[in-house]
Amino acid sequence: MTPPDDKPIVLALQNVSCSYEAGTRALEEISFSARKGDIICLLGPSGCGKTTTLRAIAGFEPVASGEISLNGAIVSATDRHVPPERRRVGMVFQDYALFPHLTVRDNVGFGLAYATADDRRSRIDEMLSLTGLSELARRYPHALSGGQQQRAALARALAPQPVLLLLDEPFSNLDPDTTERMRVELLHLLKTTQTTAVFVTHDHEEAFAMADYVAVLNNGKLEQYSAPETMYHLPVSPFVAEFVGQADFIPGTIRDSVVVTQLGEFPVPKAYRGDSEVVVMIRPDDVHIRENRDGDGTVASRQFRGSEIIYGIRLDSGDFVHSSEASTRFFPLDSKVELKVIATHTVVFDRKAWTTQRVF
Amino acid sequence: MDSANPFLPLSSLRFRFPSPLVLLGFCLAIALMLPLLYVAFSAMTADPAVWRRLWATRVPELFLNTFSLSLGVAVINLTLGVSLAWILTRYTFVGSKIWDWLLILPLSIPSYVLAYTYTYLLKRGGTLEQVWQTIAGPEAVFFSPFSFAGAVLVLALNTFPFVYLLARSALKNFNISFEEVARTTGADRVTTFFRVSLPLIRPSLIAGLFLAILYVASDFGAVSLLRFQTFTYAVYQQMTGRFDNTAATCLSLILVACAFVFLFGERWFRQRSRFYQTTSRYRKPVPQPCRPLTALLFTGYLLLVFGAAFGLPVLLLIQWTVKAASAGEISHVFIGYVWNSISLSGITATAAVICGIPLAYLACRRQTWASTFCVQGAYTGYILPGPVAALAVLVLVSQTVPQLYGTILVLLMAYLVHFLPAALQGMESTLQQLTPNLEEAARSLGARSLRTFFHVTLPLVRGGFLSAWILVFVQCMKELPASLLLRPVGFDTLAVRIWLEASEELYQLAAPPALLIVVITIPVVLLLMRKDRT
Repeated sequence: MTPPDDKPIVLALQNVSCSYEAGTRALEEISFSARKGDIICLLGPSGCGKTTTLRAIAGFEPVASGEISLNGAIVSATDRHVPPERRRVGMVFQDYALFPHLTVRDNVGFGLAYATADDRRSRIDEMLSLTGLSELARRYPHALSGGQQQRAALARALAPQPVLLLLDEPFSNLDPDTTERMRVELLHLLKTTQTTAVFVTHDHEEAFAMADYVAVLNNGKLEQYSAPETMYHLPVSPFVAEFVGQADFIPGTIRDSVVVTQLGEFPVPKAYRGDSEVVVMIRPDDVHIRENRDGDGTVASRQFRGSEIIYGIRLDSGDFVHSSEASTRFFPLDSKVELKVIATHTVVFDRKAWTTQRVF
Repeated sequence: MDSANPFLPLSSLRFRFPSPLVLLGFCLAIALMLPLLYVAFSAMTADPAVWRRLWATRVPELFLNTFSLSLGVAVINLTLGVSLAWILTRYTFVGSKIWDWLLILPLSIPSYVLAYTYTYLLKRGGTLEQVWQTIAGPEAVFFSPFSFAGAVLVLALNTFPFVYLLARSALKNFNISFEEVARTTGADRVTTFFRVSLPLIRPSLIAGLFLAILYVASDFGAVSLLRFQTFTYAVYQQMTGRFDNTAATCLSLILVACAFVFLFGERWFRQRSRFYQTTSRYRKPVPQPCRPLTALLFTGYLLLVFGAAFGLPVLLLIQWTVKAASAGEISHVFIGYVWNSISLSGITATAAVICGIPLAYLACRRQTWASTFCVQGAYTGYILPGPVAALAVLVLVSQTVPQLYGTILVLLMAYLVHFLPAALQGMESTLQQLTPNLEEAARSLGARSLRTFFHVTLPLVRGGFLSAWILVFVQCMKELPASLLLRPVGFDTLAVRIWLEASEELYQLAAPPALLIVVITIPVVLLLMRKDRT
């Protein structure tokens, strides 16, 4: 599952399982790896095991089976557990966990206990100026805004030059405006410092905006690990398809290596090896509508989003699809429309499996 | 209030309580402060020769003793309190839940009872020395109970729960991310404990130490039985041995002044080191299961501390009581002492709650300089050690209405000055939790203030007021120095009997009243702690 590249592998998880108590699996057989400088995102609904994965990498959760290695050395296995302080991972906690009894400067310098005084000072200064906190160095955490606290936590985690940076829902405590700005800042900082990072989120937009590779977890299992674009256009399961964006499924039947649906015929993906009764995934941006009295769709809902309008279309068959239109294209509710689907790839799933697996 | 004006803003109701309330509060505050003020006055107008003599003879020794005793107790309290709290908040093992409760129980033994059991345990050829000699050889000697070490041991065992309880709640509500983030930056467990956990719970530790030290500095029972010279004991000796109330007032003033400095020092420190939780959502520590050997080690340690502070003394008391009962030593005279204690405590508790009502009202509902003055004035009794409260009331009464001297009223006054703050504290916090909107609603429906109080406020705060009553009742049952100094002739309370018998080393005779006090106090201690935990 490692993307082909020539950079060294920093983090590798191989068939990692974790359990809180004997019997209940919090993680099952997770495998993925990251190369130097990669930004990996663990994405999934709450309780899916993404935070457990992060804590297992940090060394706060033991693994029940499988192994985790950092820079080629095994740090977690059934018979081996390197304590967190010897893993050289930096961690930014959801609540930042800035030490309230220390100033920003002392917080940033906390992990530099073994450096000489001079090295320590210069490294702190470097981190403070990198994160734009030089002016606030003498303040205590409670006197910082949310964004400043996050930057301080980041500076503290990066100061000892960790091999890997872990971030647990780093933006969940910020207001939306700050989040937008901090995403850009964080991405810039990680890329300039060539830091390998793993972060956890439940927001697919955040994952897509930040990550080089996204791992979608569901019920403790890794559903898909791939680049954001691949994940959006070629999801491997209905769960992933729906979790990373709006997706509709319409029934189809494979006949003579094409999928026949009420919205037209689509080529069958080469890799598909299932039953001939299928569902085809349709993204709103693939659907285009045109006003037509004799069309087989009816405009049932409209959601204005600024740059686009999402129309909900009820098909005469009873199925429902969404269409993303430019925000200047206006169709009144209940008007009849005709639909045209233009998709670069077709994504199909076995219809029986899809019916039983539906989560939403 | 102009009821004809329908446009009167509602908020003005809040500031229109009857002024008799302020007047009443003012009188109460003055009455409660008067003894202290009188002591201060007579000490400052005392003959300079008395001051010079005291400075030359007693004061340096008393300072040194009181200070070193507090310091010794503080060191032991910190070690015991933090280690016990750490074990019980971070690990689970068989019985760890029960230990959590058991470690509160030492608070139910009055210091003089603990001291008296230790004079027996530690005496020459006593139980502990025999045990010690089988380990360390026949020539080995244990330290005497009548020494610095003895006083430190007894008072530390008596007060460590203060530090333990506060350390425990601080560690229990600790944001574990702080420790985890320290670990990820390369700090091992020990470094993390000393550089992160300990500094973060420091405010709680200081608060616990403050309580313990205040307790030690104002303790009379233990130091008097162990004959260890501190300020409180010296005040008592000046009054009874030398009948020199002037010297006693001088020593009292010094002690109270120190207590004030200490009190403000703690306030200042606490304000400076107020730490903020950066968010409300955080990860609390989850107690980890530990290996059987570690569990055994922990249990042994807990058993040792608990046995020394509670188990062993109570077993002794039970044993002696059984002996006394079978020897027919528990007679109608004993019942008389029980009745004296119960009636006196009941009257005091009732008086304290009644006096506390207007003061608590002032504290919660009216934030003006006058009410602040009244409330703070009433709280001054908080820092008066028992012998000082007794002396103050005694001096005041003998100078103004000497006819009262030797009656039960003097004793009641001293109790009230001493214990009203404890009642007030509980009542104030109960009343604070009651939104004034309820009272305003009642008054907007036409109820006058007294009717509002009896039909709305009182039913809602009854529980809190009741626990204030129980608290004062139990404190009175245990009270020793004021009872000893001010009781009418022949009117002995249980505490007085314990002290008198124990001073004569009549262990068996002192045991039944001591056991009774412990038994009465246990449910109250547990009750207060349970409230503390929710």
